[in-house]
Amino acid sequence: MIPCTDFIPAYSELFKTLEDLGGEEAVEDFWRTLSEEFLGNLRDHVERFGLEGCWEYWSHTLNEEAADFTMTLDLDEGIFRIDMHCCPSKRRLLECPHVEPYRAYCRHCDLLYRNILEALGYSYSIDLSRCDEARCSITVTEGAGSRSGEGL
Amino acid sequence: MERGAKRVMRRKALDNVYLHKDFHGALSCGIDYLDSHFGEEAVRQYLHRFTRSFYAPLIREIERRGLPALRDHFERIYGIEGGEVAIEMTERELTLRVKACPAVTHMRRKGYKVARLFKETVNTVNGALCEGTGLKAELLAYDDDTGRSTQRFTREKR
Repeated sequence: MIPCTDFIPAYSELFKTLEDLGGEEAVEDFWRTLSEEFLGNLRDHVERFGLEGCWEYWSHTLNEEAADFTMTLDLDEGIFRIDMHCCPSKRRLLECPHVEPYRAYCRHCDLLYRNILEALGYSYSIDLSRCDEARCSITVTEGAGSRSGEGL
Repeated sequence: MERGAKRVMRRKALDNVYLHKDFHGALSCGIDYLDSHFGEEAVRQYLHRFTRSFYAPLIREIERRGLPALRDHFERIYGIEGGEVAIEMTERELTLRVKACPAVTHMRRKGYKVARLFKETVNTVNGALCEGTGLKAELLAYDDDTGRSTQRFTREKR
């Protein structure tokens, strides 16, 4: 068994394997597949609760991942934001000297969530400029086509 | 937490325990993707490559200490996951009887698809851990529905 605590290096190695087998296209196709098949709970939360669905979804995952973060939901402004001060996944890869992380590891967070949130009418942006320090930020804003949700 | 128009949550890494079992579902999805797009051998090659790379320090420890190093590893990972496992070790043999794989149990409970080749996370990984160490890994029994398994490791005759 591969314990869930060793998943991140397995995930990184999967991206490398996919790129060797089918190029960057295969990696991105896998991310789209994962988004569609595995992130249904994010889609369901946001469809039902709007930006509060983002808050609920990431409240669960970021706490289980023991992330160092600040998460902000401003319903008046229609903005949900995550400031990741130390990403637990990237930190694990950076702290593992004998493993070379997939060169574009952090990009999966862009494609996985963008795929879902933009389809629901939200604007999604991610700042990966400091991902080599395990820091990033995600901003989701309500757009013309997004729903305000029914409230929690 | 106060519910209002604006909410803020601040957490530090030490505020929580790192245990996100949904990762098993993502790994299963990856195995399924490799299987359906590149075939069974790609799954085994991937898991072999991951094991030899990430577990390289453990493999060196197995080379040095033999079965006790493997036993310690399994006690650690099944302890983390809360799996029910009976581990028996003699001078020449280590046997694991896993009542239900914690990864499969979690995925079934959450309704995630369990990859057709998910058992390779035991079979291929165990084989790769033992490669070149003088130990032989065997998966004597595996139930796809629950991940219940019997795993045996023996010293190879030299």
